[in-house]
Amino acid sequence: MEGLLKSTSLIQRAYWLIKLRWVAIATLAAATLVAVRFMSVSLATRVLLTISLLLVVYNFVLYDLLQYWTRGGKAPSPTRIGRFLTFQIVGDLFILAAILHFSGGIENPFSFFFVFHMIMASILRSRRQSYLQATLAVLLFAGLIALEATGVLPHYHLAGFADHGLYSDRSFVLGFLFVFTVTLYLVVYMTTSISEQLHTQQDDLEKANSLLEEKDQVKNQYVLRVTHDIKGHLAAIQSCLEIVFNGMVGPLNEKQADLVERAFRRTTKCMAFVTALLKLTRMKLSGHLERERFSLKNCILSSLASVQSRAQAKSITVQYRIDPAVEDVLGESVLIEETLTNMLFNAVKYTPDGGQVNLEAMPDGDFIKVRISDNGIGIPPAELPRIFEEFYRAENARAVERDGTGLGLAFAKEVIERHGGSIWVENNPGGGSTFTFTLPNKV
Amino acid sequence: MAQGKILIIDDDPDITEAMTVVLENRGYQVRSAQDGTQGMEQLKKSRPDLIILDVMMRTSQEGFEFSRELKSNPKYKNIPILMLTAVKQKTGLDFKADAGDQAWLPVEEFLDKPVKPDMLLEKVEDLLSAREA
Repeated sequence: MEGLLKSTSLIQRAYWLIKLRWVAIATLAAATLVAVRFMSVSLATRVLLTISLLLVVYNFVLYDLLQYWTRGGKAPSPTRIGRFLTFQIVGDLFILAAILHFSGGIENPFSFFFVFHMIMASILRSRRQSYLQATLAVLLFAGLIALEATGVLPHYHLAGFADHGLYSDRSFVLGFLFVFTVTLYLVVYMTTSISEQLHTQQDDLEKANSLLEEKDQVKNQYVLRVTHDIKGHLAAIQSCLEIVFNGMVGPLNEKQADLVERAFRRTTKCMAFVTALLKLTRMKLSGHLERERFSLKNCILSSLASVQSRAQAKSITVQYRIDPAVEDVLGESVLIEETLTNMLFNAVKYTPDGGQVNLEAMPDGDFIKVRISDNGIGIPPAELPRIFEEFYRAENARAVERDGTGLGLAFAKEVIERHGGSIWVENNPGGGSTFTFTLPNKV
Repeated sequence: MAQGKILIIDDDPDITEAMTVVLENRGYQVRSAQDGTQGMEQLKKSRPDLIILDVMMRTSQEGFEFSRELKSNPKYKNIPILMLTAVKQKTGLDFKADAGDQAWLPVEEFLDKPVKPDMLLEKVEDLLSAREA
């Protein structure tokens, strides 16, 4: 049952234990002082405060060890981190037993804090180990009480809190230990059954998720195959039509030319769609990205250049501002440039004649942020969340251009997320929309 | 009218026919083959001035393999190859790599499908005149 939790969550839990120990140490010191000062309980104050100090050192050592293991984002093996957790829980059992010894033994109600260790063991470790921990706790505590009752170990009486004879009262001691033992085993039983159920559910979810991912890959393979075949046929149709249309095999009459042209135009559109789908599917199937340093600024400038003539034809002003701090980024420049060009073409396409398109690029923390805004038709608010979905096209976009592929933004999202960035869209208060994407700045 | 013998190696008979019409229209002599083996036979029968080669035939690698074989053969390595693929825009293939290298793709020009008639004629003309020069 080793490794119920993943290595990363085990590490988180290891830090959690250390954090809890800080609270416990503070509680120990504070409780000692409060009991002595305000409740006039007689306590081995010096011993208890010394234990607190030693615990501070101990906890720092554990913390440093964990930091050392996880430096630079490394993850120690689940086995190692599991042993580390076991070591801490066992250590804490001994420490708690020692503290109880110096603070009244059976007279001290803090003995029920053993319950917390049982809960932690049950969440973090296997069922078997949790029962072993419970047994260890019972043996430690019973041993301590027995040794004190028989006079082998001295008894530190909590004068002012409990009656003096309690620790050597046979029926009280036996009754107490019985309840104590039952409590610990019951806690382990209940907590392990709940946490094991949760772990099983988590495993099932993970399995279901990886199955879905597998099926998605199979679907993508299928789409790739079908699309590739269709593209081959389309290419042949288009090549033949174009020759006829160009008059290379003799002149056509007006009606023939018109019909052939219509057919040719439709195959061109179909081709654009198939090409976009192929590109997106190939991208989804390929696990890797060619990462190289490239100038984002040059990329932006060259996509601005490719959209220039289309913008001029619609008398749309394209303005841009690239912050001087925008430097090289890591990734595939071809893909980023294509995405930028796509987004700029969209901005121009959905902005009426005489409108305006603005591009801004600036650093933003660890990222570079690129914003493309226009004062065009915008996106109906209800459709905003779906705009990056494959094949989804906003209603007003369909009115502008009937045969768009509905794949451009899905491709953009795939590219940007593949690079570790994010992409989103907002409507501008004055009309039009703003697309923003980020790319990691760290080279 | 243009002069020159062109060999088209492509397993798609319709694309081959379309290209043949365009090229013959311009005056080139065109022969065609459906795969690498047939291509080799044609090559031995009559040496072309230019080869138009499809990348993906029976296997996705056949075009690459054929071009490597041809360019390794001293007898044929001077025949320019125009490859039909969109490969130049998207792969990390290194066109300058040496013979024997994994990434070695020894072809002179590329053209994406569907082939535009004027683009095809332009590239063919360029390759043939570069050869004469």
